[in-house]
This record gives sequence, structure tokens and C-alpha cells, in this order.
Amino acid sequence: MLAKLSLRNVKRSVRDYMVYLLTMTVVVALMYAFGSLIFQNELTSYFDMVDLMAVMIILATVFIVLIVAWLIHYMVRFMLEKKSTEFGIYMLLGMPKKTILRLYMTENIILGGLAFLAGLFLSVLLQQVLATVMFSMVRMEYHLHFSFSRETILTTMLCYAGCYLLALLRCGWKFRKLNIHGLMNAKRQNEEIKEKNEEVKRILLPISIIFILLFWACFGHLTNAGEIVLFLIGLVLTIYLFYLGLSAWIICYIRKKGNGIYRGGNLFLLRQFASKVRTMQFTMGTLTALFTLALMGSSIALMFNEYENTALDGKFPFDVQIHGSAEASFAQEKKVIDQAADVSAYYSYSIYTDGENQVNTWMLTHLKDWGTMFRKGQKMDAEPDLEEIEDFLQNDGVYYPYDTYMGISDYNHLREMLGYEKVCLRADEYLVQVKPRLESDVQEIGDSLKLKNAAGDGLLSFAGIASEPFSQDGHNGADYVVIVPDAVLSRMHPYYAELVADIKGRAASGLQKKLDALTLNTDERTPIGHDYKDLCYGSDTIITYAVVYAVRDNLIPEIKYMLASLIIPLFYIGLVFVCVAVTVLSVQQLGDSSKYRFRYDVLAKLGMGKPERGRLIFKQLAAYYLCPAILAMIISGKMILFISARFVDATGVPAYSGSFFAKSIALFFGIYLVYFAVTYVGFKRNTVEPPVS
Amino acid sequence: MDGYIRICDVEKYYGSASNVTKAVDRVSFQVAKGEFVGIMGASGSGKTTLLNMLATIDQVTAGHIFYENTDITELSEHALSEFRKNNLGFVFQDYNLLDTLTIEENIVLALTLQGERKKETQDKCRRIMELLEIDAIKDQFPYQVSGGQKQRCACARAMVNRPKLLLADEPTGALDSHSAQTLLETFVNLNHVLAATILMVTHDAFSASYCSRILFLKDGKIFHELMRGEKSRKLFLQDILDVLSLTGGELSNAR
Repeated sequence: MLAKLSLRNVKRSVRDYMVYLLTMTVVVALMYAFGSLIFQNELTSYFDMVDLMAVMIILATVFIVLIVAWLIHYMVRFMLEKKSTEFGIYMLLGMPKKTILRLYMTENIILGGLAFLAGLFLSVLLQQVLATVMFSMVRMEYHLHFSFSRETILTTMLCYAGCYLLALLRCGWKFRKLNIHGLMNAKRQNEEIKEKNEEVKRILLPISIIFILLFWACFGHLTNAGEIVLFLIGLVLTIYLFYLGLSAWIICYIRKKGNGIYRGGNLFLLRQFASKVRTMQFTMGTLTALFTLALMGSSIALMFNEYENTALDGKFPFDVQIHGSAEASFAQEKKVIDQAADVSAYYSYSIYTDGENQVNTWMLTHLKDWGTMFRKGQKMDAEPDLEEIEDFLQNDGVYYPYDTYMGISDYNHLREMLGYEKVCLRADEYLVQVKPRLESDVQEIGDSLKLKNAAGDGLLSFAGIASEPFSQDGHNGADYVVIVPDAVLSRMHPYYAELVADIKGRAASGLQKKLDALTLNTDERTPIGHDYKDLCYGSDTIITYAVVYAVRDNLIPEIKYMLASLIIPLFYIGLVFVCVAVTVLSVQQLGDSSKYRFRYDVLAKLGMGKPERGRLIFKQLAAYYLCPAILAMIISGKMILFISARFVDATGVPAYSGSFFAKSIALFFGIYLVYFAVTYVGFKRNTVEPPVS
Repeated sequence: MDGYIRICDVEKYYGSASNVTKAVDRVSFQVAKGEFVGIMGASGSGKTTLLNMLATIDQVTAGHIFYENTDITELSEHALSEFRKNNLGFVFQDYNLLDTLTIEENIVLALTLQGERKKETQDKCRRIMELLEIDAIKDQFPYQVSGGQKQRCACARAMVNRPKLLLADEPTGALDSHSAQTLLETFVNLNHVLAATILMVTHDAFSASYCSRILFLKDGKIFHELMRGEKSRKLFLQDILDVLSLTGGELSNAR
């Protein structure tokens, strides 16, 4: 009998909580697919950084297990509330509480099991999609082959069971405390609208709005950890108190009999919204937080993704590039390269220095990245703080301690290798080659630099700026290299040497490792005491990659793989968070449809036509769905725009900094729309359509 | 009888061709303007089905229902909801108030759905609340007031648009005897003061004794009709009880 009851309840729940089941199915599939990156990763053999991927996935999974446990807990409690009368009747009939609990748990576990099985089927597909994406990210070909891994299934099962255990334990405890009266009244209690001190609570809305405005104004200027923590606490409070304030504000507006309530179904809509927000205020706050995190996660993932798709290729323009001491002959390296690849041309050259640092000083005082750090008193137009600069150059390894120069003939040769047009330079001219992202910062560099000509009796004049990708993360200078007529180099000395090679076809995959092995037994130093292995990569931050041996065909996939281990877990978290949050929203509406059916029936009796009721439902759902989404967008917007502006500046990604935010909102609303549509159709079926007998 | 509302040969069948239940079987009668008509009958006699058809929330199988010159059996779904909005008021046993709205707001909503302006809405709402003596509880939510007050609020909401017909389905069903009496007096009051036409379905003789005419329904057919005329309510109640005892009606409900 009990089994029959459980099964019948499952059947009913499947229909009522379709959205929840779908989400759980998707979660299982995601858990399996991302877990497969740890256990079934065929890329492990190619890369050293696999561990990073595993660690990141595990970290993401921990967050996801917690959130999914919250969803299950929420759902179990929600369903308990809906079934409270039924359980109350069972108890009244003399069924022991334990049996009822077992009945209910069986039902939940069957539901979870159904979702798990469905999820496993979906996961096979999803895993292939993910593998294809991963392989194409690292530029390798993937051949579809469906497989199940025991370890992955086991881990997915464990994670999933963990979610359930966490959720059900808490519910069982709650269940034990219930009595018949409590169960029979659970629903009624929920419907009572407590309106107390609304005038006071209402103030929370303007306070929240003011805090959000303040947050927008101040976020970029927070300097120490204390301030940031304070702001974050304020933000969390704002998120939660906003809804209390919002519902109180609406209630006050209705009580004051504002003009808006006298139009059509507005009164109904506003009351409905206010009471829903009031009973759900805590959940709404949590949903907002989840949306905020999801938006931030996917935006950051999009930033890194953009980086690997655009800026990364420009970072390694040469097939092979090697950094060496001024005297380096590169004989050993050439031997290794020749063994591994078919080289069409080598070119070795030197970077020179005059032992001064006026260009370095100019960069440190004028680039946006440094701000006023290197000016006296940190004021905008103050003199350069030479002591600070000297100290920084000698110790921090961001710029080479002395200015870097290159002869025009070497420069043009390299340009030719890269397929750029050659440039002409008169005997009394110089030009500055910088990283593409710095182009706008250095427009005025010619006004300040005073570079001596070959004879040392006059000054060179500024011929302009070049900003094509030119391997300037330590190889051809850090951030910049000054191009001068060859004759000028005669009064300088070689700083370090570089070798570039052009390879026919692709480099073999192990070349980078073989070259790296060479550095282990050398201990050469540059004539000026600089350890040549310490490449100075310039002002890039967030992603910097300084390598003595740069084999493009080896490095780019490796960096992409490393970035993928950030991007993929971030998307994973974002995706699950959004799905969980939207599920809670949907279930809240669909689960209450019997109550809403009554309300919409009353409206029908008052003469509201079916299309009008349909529109009202649309408005009700839209307001309810948009509210947490918009708040999350406003809050995350500031942080994302701030971070992405920094990211674009620091990495030179050729993208408008708002584009990441826009894209993640588009992604977010894609998922949102699917859930909204499902909820709208279900809700309409449950409320306005005639009941199916 | 001026034939304000005419019910002509109305039938309502349920079930499939092999197993037909005749809920309402060729019923015809008329309701005059300003009349307070009661429909009585035991459970399953078809009285609520009949009321639902008059209320346009159920369709007839055959026959016609005219409100003045409008045949509502011929109207489209959209036209029906317009008709409902402009011509009918409802009072049900379970009040049908919206739990998220206060007493006053429940009444206001009926007016705003009609497209009334703010000023008129407020005036009409205030007047009807005063008439039904619920202005003291106007800011309370339905769960905070008694059943009688809820039902009077439902009456106010039904009457505030001055409908052609007020339909009441067992309005006293969930009320204690005192509240029921107050409500029925309210109906009589509405009938006299506002000249409201009221059609009430009930199986309770006491409630029915407030009507001016009673139709007795049995197995989907009208089998008797009582007119109150100039009789006192007590005498009329006795007449009703006599009819019920003849048919084995529910005497236990007579108070």
C-alpha cells in the first residue's frame, strides 16, 4: 500500500515539478561531463597542467554540490508544504510519523533516481560536446566516441548522493518536529499576510538604492581589504533587504491609493507581487546572489576566452623565438630545433642598450597601468620619483633595468619574416615599437625623449610609433623597443641576443620541453649582471607569459589548456547557478498554481476575458522573473565593467570592455527565456485553461 | 412579469452517449426586474448547474437564456466575459475573495476591471461599503474577518457595478445562523433599496423564506413554485416546509 502511495505521489510530482526534474537532469549531466575532464581526459598525455584543471573542476564541484543541495532542500521543503494537509490526514488516521517520513523520502529518492538516470543518458552527449570544445580549444582534432567511465559515474553518483544527503538530513530533522495541527495549518499560515510597520520597512528601499548608487560610485576606488569587506557585507545586506523594502513600498503605495492601482488589473498584480516578494524575500535575495555570481563567472570566463581567441596569437608571432645572453651563439638550440622541425630560416640579432633609462622612466610615468605610482607624492603632474624608479627597475623585473634598442636593419628583417611592410628611417630619426594595447598611451612619447644621434652631438627626431604584435614580453624589449638607425648602435653595447626561426609546417609537440631542458645546466649572465633567464615581460598583468624558449605551436595549445581550466569551471558554475535559481523561481510559481487557479477564476467571474488573463499572467511572471535578474545585473554590472576594463587594459584584448557583460547577459537570458517559456505555458495551463479531467 | 430574464427550455446533459445524466431537463421560467427569486432543491437536483448556466460559466446543451434581448447561449467566449463584466454579480458559498487583497481592494478591483476612474471608483466603493456596513473593516485582509463579513464583502463586490442580476449560490452555506440572517437581510435590503434582481440557489428553507418567489427543482425539473405575495416571512417559511415535507426535502435545515 505504501509503495503504491509513494509511486502515485511520484507520478503526480513528475507532472507538477517537471522543471525541477529537468534541472536535476541537466545538473547530473553537467556533473558527469565536467567530472569526465578529470577521469576521461584524453588530453592529459599532452599537457603538464592537467592537475590545475582537476583542481579547478573539483573546486567548482564543491560549490555546485552545496548549491544543488540547497535546491533539493528547498524543493523537499516546498513539496512538504504542498503535501502538508495530506500528511496531516495520514497522521490523523494513525499512520506513525516514521512511516510518513519514509513514504515522503521514498518519493523524493525515486524522483532523484529518475533524474539521475535521465541525466546519465544526457551526459554521454554532453561529454562529447565538451570534449569536442576542449580539443578545438587546444587546436587538436577529436573523433567522437561514446564511452562510459566507471570512475566518472561513481564520482557523479557520490556528488549527487552527497547533495541529497545534505538536503534530506535537514528536512528529516524538521519533519520530526511537526505535529498534526502544524501540518494541517502549514498552508494557511503561509497565506497570511502580515503587514506591520510597513511605513518603516519602506525606507529600506531608498536605502538599498542609495547603497547601490554608492557602490557604483565607489567600487573602483576601494583600496584596502577592510573597505572591500565592508562593502561586500553592505552588498549582501542590500540584496536581502531590498526585497523587504520593495514589498513594503508597494504595499504603502496601494494603501495610499496611488493612481496606478485604479487601472485594469494593476491592483491585483501589485498585491500579488508584493505578497509573493514578501513571503519569498530571503529566497529572492539568495537568487539575486546566485545570479550575480553566475553573471560574474561567465563574464570572466568570456574575458579569458576572448583573450585566447584574439590576443594570444599576437603574443607569439614567431614560430620559434629564443632569448640568450649577449654572446650566445645558439648552436645547441639550433641543433635541437633542427632535429625536431624543418627550419626554413634562422635569424639571430641583438638588443642593445645605452645603459640609461629615460625611456623606462617615461613609460613608468606615462602609461595608464602605472598611474601616478612613480611620480613624486603620487600626484598627476609631479616630477618622476627617480629613486623609486631606480629601485623598481633593479628589483622588480618588470622592465629591463636599462632602455632597449634595436637597429633598423634587424627590425626590417624581422618585419619581413612576419609579413609586415618594411619601414624607412632617416639617419637622424627613431621610432618606437610598442605592444598593440599601449599604442594610445605612448602617442606623446616623442615630445619628451631626447635620444642622441650616432655621433653623440645632436638629437634624433621622432618618426612615429609602430604597434603590430612583435613579441614584446621580454624578447623584443619589454613593452617597447626603440628602433634607431644602425649607426646609432655603435655608441651602445649589446644587452642580450635573440634567435628566431621560421618553420615549415608545424613544430613537433615535444620541442618546447627539449629546449627547456637546455636551460637547466647553464648559468650565463648578461654583461650588466642581469640573469638572462629572467625575462622582463612589461606592464601586462592578469595573464603574463615570459618564456626564454618560445615555440609557438607548443605554447599556444598549452596556454589555451591552462586558460580552459579557468574558463570551463567558471562556465560550469555559472550555468548551474542560473539553472538552480531559475528552477526555484519556476517551481515557486508552478507549485502555487492551484492557489492561482482560484484567483484567476475569481477574475474570470468578475468578467476578465481569457486573453486579458493571459496578459496578466505574463505580466505577473515577467515582473517576478525580472526583479532578481535586474537587481543582479545592476550589482554585477559595476563589478564586471570595472574588471573587464582592467582586463582589456592589462591584456590588450581587442574588445570593447562592455561586450563581456553584454554577452553574458545574452547567455543568461537565453537560459532564462527557456525556463520562462516553460513556466508561462505550464502556469497558463494550470490557471486559465479548463482543467483536464 | 415583463420577462426581464427568460429561461427557455434549457437542458444540460453530462456524460457520454451511452450513459447520459440529465442535470437540467427542459427548464423554463422568467424572472422579472427587481425580483428576489430562490431556487430550492436537494443535492443533485440540478440547481447549481442551472445557476452556472445563468452565470455564463457553463454552457447549455439545448435551449436559450435571454437577458432582456440578449441570448447568452449565442455569445462568443469574449462576448460572454464582457457580458459577465457588465451585467452579472456573483456571491458564492466560499466567498471567492482574493486573499492577497484587503476587503476594500476586493471591491475596488471589480470596478477597475470595468475601467472606472479613480474618483468614481472611490465614491462607489465607499457607498456600497457603508450600505453593507463593512467600512470599519475595509483595511483588513479576508483571513482577518469573520465569514459573515467576508460574505458581505462578496455582496458588495457583486453589487458595486449595479449588475442586471445578482447570482448567489448557497451564500449562507458556510455561515452561522446569526451571520446568515444578517446576510439575508442585506439581500432584502439590496433588493428594496437598489432594486436589485437576485437569484439565489439554496437548499435551506430559512434562507429561501426571504425570497419573493421560490422554484423547487427535483431531478432537473421544476416541480413546484411558491409565491410569497403578502404573506409574512414566518407563514411563507411554513409553506416552504410543507412543500419540502411533501417531497422528503431536507427538513433538518429548517430553523
